[in-house]
Amino acid sequence: MVRDYNNRHALEQKLRSAPRPAAADHLMVGHWRAMATVLARAGQAEAVRQSIASVPELSLRFSGPGEWLVVSEVEAPSGLVRRLEELCDGGAYVVDQSDGRVVFRLTGPNVRSILAKGIGLDVHPATFSLGGSANVLCGHIPVNLARTDEDTFELIVPRSYAESLFDDLMRMGRAFDLTAAFSD
Amino acid sequence: MASLITCPHCGVRPKEEFAVRGDASRGRPEPMDSDETWHDYVYVRVNPRGRTFEHWHHVAGCRRFLVVERDTATHEVYSVVDAAEFARRVER
Repeated sequence: MVRDYNNRHALEQKLRSAPRPAAADHLMVGHWRAMATVLARAGQAEAVRQSIASVPELSLRFSGPGEWLVVSEVEAPSGLVRRLEELCDGGAYVVDQSDGRVVFRLTGPNVRSILAKGIGLDVHPATFSLGGSANVLCGHIPVNLARTDEDTFELIVPRSYAESLFDDLMRMGRAFDLTAAFSD
Repeated sequence: MASLITCPHCGVRPKEEFAVRGDASRGRPEPMDSDETWHDYVYVRVNPRGRTFEHWHHVAGCRRFLVVERDTATHEVYSVVDAAEFARRVER
């Protein structure tokens, strides 16, 4: 029997209704974003970090000592893996995560008050600087949190947790009239 | 229980992000050690009052095992180091 496998986004059901105009605080869900985990071999962490950080379109997200989640807005998944393997030159293990994770981008003036309802981490601008990232719990869901702009945070979550995190974020943002839509 | 742990890799984090494995000061016995030694290692736990060294796994953060030195009576945390670093110090 031949089956058609449709590539469906984890939040297709949740975000089906006609989009409301974006309010001041807005949650954007990345449609398809290429990303990969990079785990440096022993002693290679600093060299790997530097070679990836030298490429401006690759965003490094800290996930452990010698381990990062690398996100790219321009590359396709296979291209990203090939690119990273060339960059690391055998100094790291690269695994594609593009289909396994969902990217949420939370932006707006009240973004820190919204995050504070679920995240036990100090996100004050003086402590969590621009470009900073960390693995944290949002409620009971493990996410990778990164500050990508002045008042913009990205949450990367395993695909199977996406619907649950989406509901949590909308509840956390209800007091601020948070809106949500696909970003592309 | 101590509610804030300063992870050497991630900074100050709430205890909900961690899983506690237990006593970090006991070494694993040799494979051919007596049954009694192994029985003690696997089943017998001390329940100390005061300073202890424990393995804490930072499950929701860097996913590293840490050794947390804390007081079981006052909940005060004295030190937190990566378990690999702790093992290196013990060997020396």
